[in-house]
Amino acid sequence: MELPILPTTVVGSYSMPGWLERLKTEYYARRISRRDLDEIHDTAVKAAIKDQEMAGLDIISDGELRRDNMIDYFAERLPGVQIDHATKKFHYDLYDSKVQGKLPIGPLGLVDDFKFLRANTERETKFCITGPHTLSKRIRNEHYPSEQEFAMDLARVMNPELKAIAKAGAHFIQVDEPYFSGFPEDFEWGVKALNLLVDGVEAKVAVHICYGNRYGKPSWEGSYEYLMPGILDAHVQQITLEFARRGGEDLEIFRELPPRFELGIGVIDVKTQAVETPDLVAERIRKALEVIPAERLFVLPDCGLLHLSRDVAFAKLAAMVGGTHLVRKELKH
Amino acid sequence: MILQLNHLHRKPAASTTQEVVDTLYALLEEGRLEREQFARLRVHLDWIQYRQNFRECVMAIGSTSDPRSECSSLEVHIDMRQVTPGALRDAILRAMPSSDVPAPAQDAVFLEEFRSFRESIAWGFNRLYWHRLAEWEEFTGRGYEQALPGGKSDANHPAAVADCVADFWTLLRDLESRKQLPEEIFVLEIGVGMGRRAGLWMDRFRALDAERGTKYYPRLRFLLGDYSLATLERSRPVMENHLELCSFVVLDALNPLKNLAFLRHKVLHIHLTNVYDNLPDEEFARREGQLYAVQVRAYIPPPDAARISGEFQIPAADIPRTVHRLLEGGPDYLADRKRGLAFWQEVWQAMRLEERLVSLDDLPDVALPTGLHQEQLEEALEGAPSDVRFHMSSGALESFQNTVPLLHPRGFLQVQDIFVTNFNEYRLGFHGPGKLDGSIVNWVNGVLLREVGERAGYDVHFAPFHYRPGSRTSVLYTTQRE
Repeated sequence: MELPILPTTVVGSYSMPGWLERLKTEYYARRISRRDLDEIHDTAVKAAIKDQEMAGLDIISDGELRRDNMIDYFAERLPGVQIDHATKKFHYDLYDSKVQGKLPIGPLGLVDDFKFLRANTERETKFCITGPHTLSKRIRNEHYPSEQEFAMDLARVMNPELKAIAKAGAHFIQVDEPYFSGFPEDFEWGVKALNLLVDGVEAKVAVHICYGNRYGKPSWEGSYEYLMPGILDAHVQQITLEFARRGGEDLEIFRELPPRFELGIGVIDVKTQAVETPDLVAERIRKALEVIPAERLFVLPDCGLLHLSRDVAFAKLAAMVGGTHLVRKELKH
Repeated sequence: MILQLNHLHRKPAASTTQEVVDTLYALLEEGRLEREQFARLRVHLDWIQYRQNFRECVMAIGSTSDPRSECSSLEVHIDMRQVTPGALRDAILRAMPSSDVPAPAQDAVFLEEFRSFRESIAWGFNRLYWHRLAEWEEFTGRGYEQALPGGKSDANHPAAVADCVADFWTLLRDLESRKQLPEEIFVLEIGVGMGRRAGLWMDRFRALDAERGTKYYPRLRFLLGDYSLATLERSRPVMENHLELCSFVVLDALNPLKNLAFLRHKVLHIHLTNVYDNLPDEEFARREGQLYAVQVRAYIPPPDAARISGEFQIPAADIPRTVHRLLEGGPDYLADRKRGLAFWQEVWQAMRLEERLVSLDDLPDVALPTGLHQEQLEEALEGAPSDVRFHMSSGALESFQNTVPLLHPRGFLQVQDIFVTNFNEYRLGFHGPGKLDGSIVNWVNGVLLREVGERAGYDVHFAPFHYRPGSRTSVLYTTQRE
């Protein structure tokens, strides 16, 4: 599928409707069945796909609406991870999960999620998963000698699932590693775990690194300077970063990014309900074009749209697409 | 009839309780109360904490549009502190006309229609007080801090300020060790009073910084925010030794983000003292499983209306219009300022709030405060007494919701105020609103704040203010919800 210049996409999650939150809570309170919740999820995902198409995105995700949050959805699927199901009040909170023995390899059930996405849109798709570094920070390690070894083993057991997703037709997979920004001291081994995760995966791989979006607020502040030069060792084809909220000062760091890397730039601030104008989006893209050529530039929000209301999320995506069109026109001339 | 007694740590209520019961029985036997009416009575004694408040000494609360009104209760609240000896019988009769929807005497002067307390004219008086504080103080001859219970504010307790500074310094040190300390260190105080706390805080921080040689002090950017320019001006002299690091910002405590959007995710510490208890609020009640909104209507009782009318030579019918003009233009409106101030004070002291309960089924447009979800309210009420009247604290919730986005990811919010931290506390007595000199004081529903905090990504904790024995203040502080 041929993409236009400056392809537009999401980082992963779409707005979580209030009614879906409520129904998830009902499920945890055992007031609706798993079967009903699955059906509700299918419907919600279809709606999220439709919204992204209507907003004009070139690459569509499933909106991650099946997921409670970026940790538990994986923790629950990883064989060997023990979860205290009584520890969570709100679906977005995190379970107390832990590992007390070596992780076995087993299917994670993500392939079905991808197949559902693929079956419900004609457009290019992107499938997102949480990376081993981030998971190792939130699942309590009571077995491995170090976090690094835990993360490497997480990568080992998740790798076959990624291969299976690629085999099922995924051309574009994104690994989310926001915790790199919170723990830059781990970055070197974090990249090694990332490389092990994507080893042999036959798809374009992006890594998304932001400053956190838990409860719609940043978890850390700082500069992307720590990414250089370590990120050049990552076996990925694209790096997607948060720039809209933080300003474009850090763009300069990526001026010398080798041609083998694409850059995905956040042009939509997902931590405010205020909707950007297409002009503002265009201005942000132009700024990025000063450091990276259009052929290697992708346009995204800063992070997932999970915490925004649906109307705001849609309006922001529409503005993003509108702003991108403005710049595309300029590039044609 | 159900009789509910609240213990207020004063003389035993037995004798007064007996007087209430005797009086009600007598009224029943005389036929002044219907048997059916008597059976539905719920009588609350000594339910108001604040001696100065908006209630008559005997007050009946009806409910409107209740399809089950035939079997619903009729609430009567009696504040024995206000009852003149021997006058209880008349006060009860006055409060309980034959109608199920009691009302003040027909010749009371009403200042508004029934509405949520949040929208009541009472808050117009509160606003006027803070904007024209100096004039009020000059007229009454006493400062607002003298009006506080105990005569001074817990905000300025040196040991509390020192602990706060020490905690903040530790945070800065930790951030520095992680190479995450921003070049400019923003601190925000909302609701500055006389500026005394801000001054103490800065003095203490400078001393600690010098003592430990960390050189954080020059990097501080201390913002003092208040919605009253007059108050900000009064705080300026106290900050004299730190002026180069201070900014004075007019802002609305309900929405600090509006004026300070440029500081989103940048402020490392935000502090408020006795602000939430002075923000517009509304109340709800659960009766027999049903939720009701408490609506109010401000009025001036007939004797006071007659007195004010005579004293200021304003026909009673013109008092509402004069009051509205006072609130719009301040005391200068009434020919001379002194007269205007006197009118303001008289009306404020006389003003009462009539109340009624309106079933939420009849108020489809009622919205929960920003950030509070229906299921959170339901969950909070699950553990609450079956019959409970509580603050929605909509102003406090709105303020919280519009303040935390200013916090740096590692920053924290601290609020010194009077909090109800458990719905069961509402069993022990009522917690406002009261009149505090010319302003309103109201307890804050900490349970709902905790719920809103969780969804905003913060765990909200409450600790007793242990620096002054007997203090009713608690300290709310936030930690990051992981």
